[in-house]
Amino acid sequence: MKSIKSRLTLVSMVVLVVFMVLTAVALERAVVKRALEAEEDGLQLLIYSLLAAVDRDADGHSLRVSSERLFEPDLVTRNSGLYALLYDRDRGVIWRSESITIDFPPPDGIALGEWEFDTLEHQATPYFRLGFALQWPDVNNKLRRYHVVVWRNAVDYFEQLNRFRQTLWAWLIVTTLLLVLVMYLVTRWSLRPLQMIGLEVQAIEDHRQSGFEREYPSEIAPLTENLNILLKREQYQRQRYRNAMDDLAHSLKTPLAVLTGIGDQARLDAAQIETLRAQTERMNQIVSYQLQKAGNLSDISISKPVDLVLIIEKLLSALEKVYQEKAIRVQRNLPDSMALRMDEGDCLEVVGNLLDNAFKYGRQRIFVSAEMNADRRTLKLTIEDDGVGLEQRQIEQILNRGTRLDEATEGQGIGLAVVADIVDSYNIELSFSRAQAGGLKVSLTFQIV
Amino acid sequence: MRAIVIEDDIDIQQQIVARLKSEGFAVDSADNGDEGLYLAQEFPADVAIVDLGLPRLSGLEVIKRIRGQGNQVPILILTARGRWQDKVEGLDAGADDYLVKPFHHEEMMARIRVLIRRASGWSDSRIQCAPVTLDTATQRTYVDERELELTAFEYKVLEYLMLHAGEVISKSVLTEHLYDDESDNDSNVIEVFIRRLRQKLDPGETLKPIETLRGRGYRFTLKRAEQH
Repeated sequence: MKSIKSRLTLVSMVVLVVFMVLTAVALERAVVKRALEAEEDGLQLLIYSLLAAVDRDADGHSLRVSSERLFEPDLVTRNSGLYALLYDRDRGVIWRSESITIDFPPPDGIALGEWEFDTLEHQATPYFRLGFALQWPDVNNKLRRYHVVVWRNAVDYFEQLNRFRQTLWAWLIVTTLLLVLVMYLVTRWSLRPLQMIGLEVQAIEDHRQSGFEREYPSEIAPLTENLNILLKREQYQRQRYRNAMDDLAHSLKTPLAVLTGIGDQARLDAAQIETLRAQTERMNQIVSYQLQKAGNLSDISISKPVDLVLIIEKLLSALEKVYQEKAIRVQRNLPDSMALRMDEGDCLEVVGNLLDNAFKYGRQRIFVSAEMNADRRTLKLTIEDDGVGLEQRQIEQILNRGTRLDEATEGQGIGLAVVADIVDSYNIELSFSRAQAGGLKVSLTFQIV
Repeated sequence: MRAIVIEDDIDIQQQIVARLKSEGFAVDSADNGDEGLYLAQEFPADVAIVDLGLPRLSGLEVIKRIRGQGNQVPILILTARGRWQDKVEGLDAGADDYLVKPFHHEEMMARIRVLIRRASGWSDSRIQCAPVTLDTATQRTYVDERELELTAFEYKVLEYLMLHAGEVISKSVLTEHLYDDESDNDSNVIEVFIRRLRQKLDPGETLKPIETLRGRGYRFTLKRAEQH
């Protein structure tokens, strides 16, 4: 699970559900306990009122219950659901309430003076039963043992309990769902600043903005403020560096251009002209190479992914214009787009130099192909021409800085050396081989970030 | 041919101007973008050489504005930086070729000749309207195999007419493209050179290569040879 929002939502859901289930169980138990206690208390009162109506019978050896002193109407209403029985020591029924229409089993042994409350089923009907054992003196003042047992029909009680349970769980489920929704919204709202940071980073990568522009909560604000400072410093340094390189190029190359011009115009003998040209050319190669090398950023930290295909098309369009006279036919095997994490300037430099060489040395046709490897972790760019190609010795030689193989062809002779430097700094694999058409085949293998 | 040179470094500018003049070009020059743009707007040129790092108005902006006005003059950019990003930007903006500083003047001239030829629809350095052949690289002229002795100005007139073979070229256009300074121009001189060219190209008056269209100008009538 990659998103913080999913994690928080899942954890809060689990915690909430467990909490709600435990709460429901505890609540139900408490209610049942309290209800049973209330039932027991009610039956106890009934037994007390029953005992108040008990008196010795006519011969004084047993007990009787005086109906006139019974104040509980349910005991005299048939089948009312409330029943009372009085047993002697041998569990023989001495008295039963008028409400009884069925037989009830006698009580098991109840300890003297003890209350015995239970819930049981009798003839498929649930009942509460409370029994009490007592001693009562007979006419001879001899203590005789009796049992009083009251039964109350519990069907209503269990129906109520079920209704209570249904209501309880329904409300708990609704409450849980509401709370989950609220938690989800709260999580989303709380994580919104992080989402905003993600969007702003994307905008910075796409060069749509130069830093973090929104206001963030106090916990995150120090981070974005520091990142803004870092970004500004980085952009400032990068720009300053590029400007310095441009100024340096201008400052060094303008006098070289003047010197070259003087060499072209001066009335010198052939040897002097050659010496002047060779020296200015050498200076130019060193300056150009060092400037190009210093200008390569090889920085992909906050760079926008470049579209390799777009860059190739841009360069092909420019080179087809420059080499219009050669009428070179370009065969393309390119997808619609291919994203690479690389500084755009560096990418243009690498592909530009390779394509320029292909146009320069190709005769009629060049072939450009880019394809993603099956594992989608590398992509391969191949540029082939139908020129004379290069020997291995020449390839090694050309990769050394400033070496120029074909003096007759314009160029500063540093293109491939610059390419080699840049690909090295980006860990791009560069290889040369013979093209099918006989010329040079250059392959670049880029790692996809 | 008329060229515009926009280069802020005076030494380089003077060298380029001197070289172009020695090759028979009429040249206007400026050392900043504003003035360069003005020259390009006011004087029809056959080629413009524009440095990218110009004061006031960048070379890139000058090129964009020239193209924005529908001016299709061939443009060669000069750049000290030499990065592909700059080259692509320049070519995208409308330039036709680039030259990285420092450069040799032969190379610059070769590029300029290619651009001028290309703009007139010629791809080879030898432009041929049989039986007349003009080698723009060596500036030599032949009728069949016979080489003609032409003065620098005669060559300029013939080159311009042949590059635009089949088109009507008015005297004023010829003057604008061939004379360095407007104060020198005299349409009678053009007529003199045309007459001399006719004599040299067609002494027997059988070819009639240059036609005079009264009140409209001249037309080089020989057909362009097919080029590959």
